[in-house]
Amino acid sequence: MSSPAQILLETHGLTVSFGGLKAVDNVSLALRAGIVTTLVGPNGAGKTTLFNLITGHLAPHAGDVRWLGRSIRGLPHWRIARDGIGRTFQDLKLFDHMSVLENVLAVTERGAWLWQTGGKAGATERLLRAESALEAVGLVDRRLMRALDLAYAERKFLSVARLLASGARLWLLDEPASGLDPRSYERFLSLLRSQVKRGSTICIIEHNLDIVHGISDRIVFLDQGRVLAEGEPKSILSDPNLAAIYFGERAA
Amino acid sequence: MLLLQLLINGLQLGAIYALTAVGFALIFGSTRIFHVAHGAAFTIAAYLFWWSFSKLQWHWLPALLLASAAVIAFGVAMERWIYRPIQRHEGAFFTVFIAAFGMQIVVQNAVGTVFGRGFETVSVALSRAVPIATGLYVAPVALVAIGAALVCFVALAWFLTRTQVGTGLRALSDNPDLVRVFGLDPTRLSQVAFALGSALVVPGAALTAVTQGINPNIGAHIMLISLAATIVGGIGSLTGAACGGLLLGLAESLALWKLDAQWSEGVTFVILFVFIIFRPAGFLGRPLGTK
Amino acid sequence: MLAYLTNLAVLISINAILAVTLNFVLGYAGIFSMAHAVFFGVGAYTAAVVAIKLGGGLLLATGAGMAVAALISLALALPALRVRGEYFVAASLGLQMLAITVFSEWKAFTGGIGGITNIPPARLFGFEFATPAQYLVLTLLCLAAVLAIVRLLVRGSFGRSLKAIRDNETAAATYGKNVAVVKTIAVAVSSSLAAVAGSLYAFYMSFVNVESFVLDTSVLLIAMVVIGGVATLTGPIVGTMLILLLPAALSYLPGLPSTEIGSIQQIVYGAAMVLLMIFRPGGVWSLRRGQGQTR
Repeated sequence: MSSPAQILLETHGLTVSFGGLKAVDNVSLALRAGIVTTLVGPNGAGKTTLFNLITGHLAPHAGDVRWLGRSIRGLPHWRIARDGIGRTFQDLKLFDHMSVLENVLAVTERGAWLWQTGGKAGATERLLRAESALEAVGLVDRRLMRALDLAYAERKFLSVARLLASGARLWLLDEPASGLDPRSYERFLSLLRSQVKRGSTICIIEHNLDIVHGISDRIVFLDQGRVLAEGEPKSILSDPNLAAIYFGERAA
Repeated sequence: MLLLQLLINGLQLGAIYALTAVGFALIFGSTRIFHVAHGAAFTIAAYLFWWSFSKLQWHWLPALLLASAAVIAFGVAMERWIYRPIQRHEGAFFTVFIAAFGMQIVVQNAVGTVFGRGFETVSVALSRAVPIATGLYVAPVALVAIGAALVCFVALAWFLTRTQVGTGLRALSDNPDLVRVFGLDPTRLSQVAFALGSALVVPGAALTAVTQGINPNIGAHIMLISLAATIVGGIGSLTGAACGGLLLGLAESLALWKLDAQWSEGVTFVILFVFIIFRPAGFLGRPLGTK
Repeated sequence: MLAYLTNLAVLISINAILAVTLNFVLGYAGIFSMAHAVFFGVGAYTAAVVAIKLGGGLLLATGAGMAVAALISLALALPALRVRGEYFVAASLGLQMLAITVFSEWKAFTGGIGGITNIPPARLFGFEFATPAQYLVLTLLCLAAVLAIVRLLVRGSFGRSLKAIRDNETAAATYGKNVAVVKTIAVAVSSSLAAVAGSLYAFYMSFVNVESFVLDTSVLLIAMVVIGGVATLTGPIVGTMLILLLPAALSYLPGLPSTEIGSIQQIVYGAAMVLLMIFRPGGVWSLRRGQGQTR
């Protein structure tokens, strides 16, 4: 085994509770460059909540999140995004009334003022970045179409395009492959692989065990907010105890 | 003595505000619809009560029943014919709000055209103030107001906790699917929410007609107060909305101790601002922060 | 007849500026301001005071109005925008009602209920605007300028930020948009441009009082934006024309008592708002285009 890749994101003892119930309980994990980690677990295990804690949309009650060595706990979500953490949503959250190109362009324009810095050159660079993101997901022909009018698979790819254009180094994907037909799914996988080769780290929440097999380098099994197990896909997925929990036959 | 007088007036006003605010909070809390036409319901109830009781010389009970029937019909009709079609398309906050708002404008002006734009009051024996001590005048209607509010709140609390429909209403906002599991229909429950929430304006409307008097703008004013009370008390909490209404009524009345009448309404909005800035969750609510 | 039409055209232009600037926050950013008339009033009162007490010309008066309006809008925006849309509605409503009281009671600045009279005509580089026709040219030029500014902002990166926030605020924040700052800037821009309309109004009427800046006015402006068409540049202008020409049109209908025309006008646009929201949320202007247009 070669030496472990650089740790990009780590969480230490991350905990948050809602009304007495611990949604995320003392979760510590590390996401390394070039590695695809998949979070699995039954419904309500706290996977999406964990994402919300990392992206700064939710404040933890205990624990820390460190990105590239620096603590990002308590930072506003937009700052965390600009530092290189990106995420997709289960319900996509596209900018429905804007065009495909605008969806992606909007993501490259980070400044809050009336105009962006960088002048003409900056604007050209952003446009190029947006267009290449669209090319990578195969939506260049659709660039002027309204996001609302796209087909389901195209909408999924648009949400990935936004992530691409944002230049994020950490990709948090929430059930990205659900509902995709096999061909689109293959395209999606190759997109992930090329992203991983560039040194990003990817963390996927996924229910579909086939997907988990095909792409994951590491699996983290969550249940009731706690990390029950982590390791290589083969060992985790063949563990009968975990399978029982996953399919709801037995509580941990 | 003046202070005590203002306190009693404030309790009376607060009782009326609390009732209307709880109606709005019930609708918004259960259905998540920002029903700013609630003020229009108040206007309808107030004018129908005044017209049937004062002009047609009905007994107060059938007058109240008429007002209640009209207001319940209004609320249910809004849900069925306006909000539901909108929610089928996209149901964005904007669209619902503008539609409710448009309805509020229509009702306010229709009432003005039909019943006249002037200020109307209903004078009954109850509304004549009786001197209790030197400088202290209390009209029995104040006690009626407070009593009515208490009765309504107790009945509402019982309904929401002890009946299946009531429990369904409480579950509706959090988890519409769960509601189906229990064999209740979310659509039906929405209608109940609108019917019940709208009906709650009736006591307040009748009391306002009897105490302060009414004019077609009363709905807009009440809507503002209900909104402010809901926020101050905490979105998601009916008790909070009631407390908020009470607080605002007291504040508006007590403000007269030191300020001119024109500024007493301003007090309501200063309180609202303070809460939005420092405690958006209100007294008892869950803050709807940006996610 | 010509005088009547010129007067109507000036008022339509001034209201169009208000509608276009309200659309900027309401249609493009999804921010619900019920207080737009407040900034109209602030612009008017400030311009009047600057013209009378300081002898200022058009530029100084308008500039001062814009600055004051922007400042007040910050006071509203900064707390209210940190939380969800319902709160902003309530806060802006509160500001509108508070403003009415302030406009009526602060005699030193606003002249109280009586308002400010004898405002001198607008002066620009020595030229005095005296006739309605001259004011028409002035207001049309200002409308064009405001439209140009709004168009520039909306078509550029700021417009995309606004629309992203409107379409999905959570996603916009996730992708690095500082939502609170963007919204605050949008509100400040919209309010200060509304003050331009106020300044023009003060000079044209040479008289301002609180009656022009009440809740009904804010509501009327919302109706213009909504009925005309949100998130389009020309929609609000269409809406303004429809609503302001309505009383004139109604007066031609036989059998309508003139005392009721105001009421009926309001009923018509209230009903129009309801029906449009059910069938065509994009407003009247969107009827001319097909479905599937971006906005």
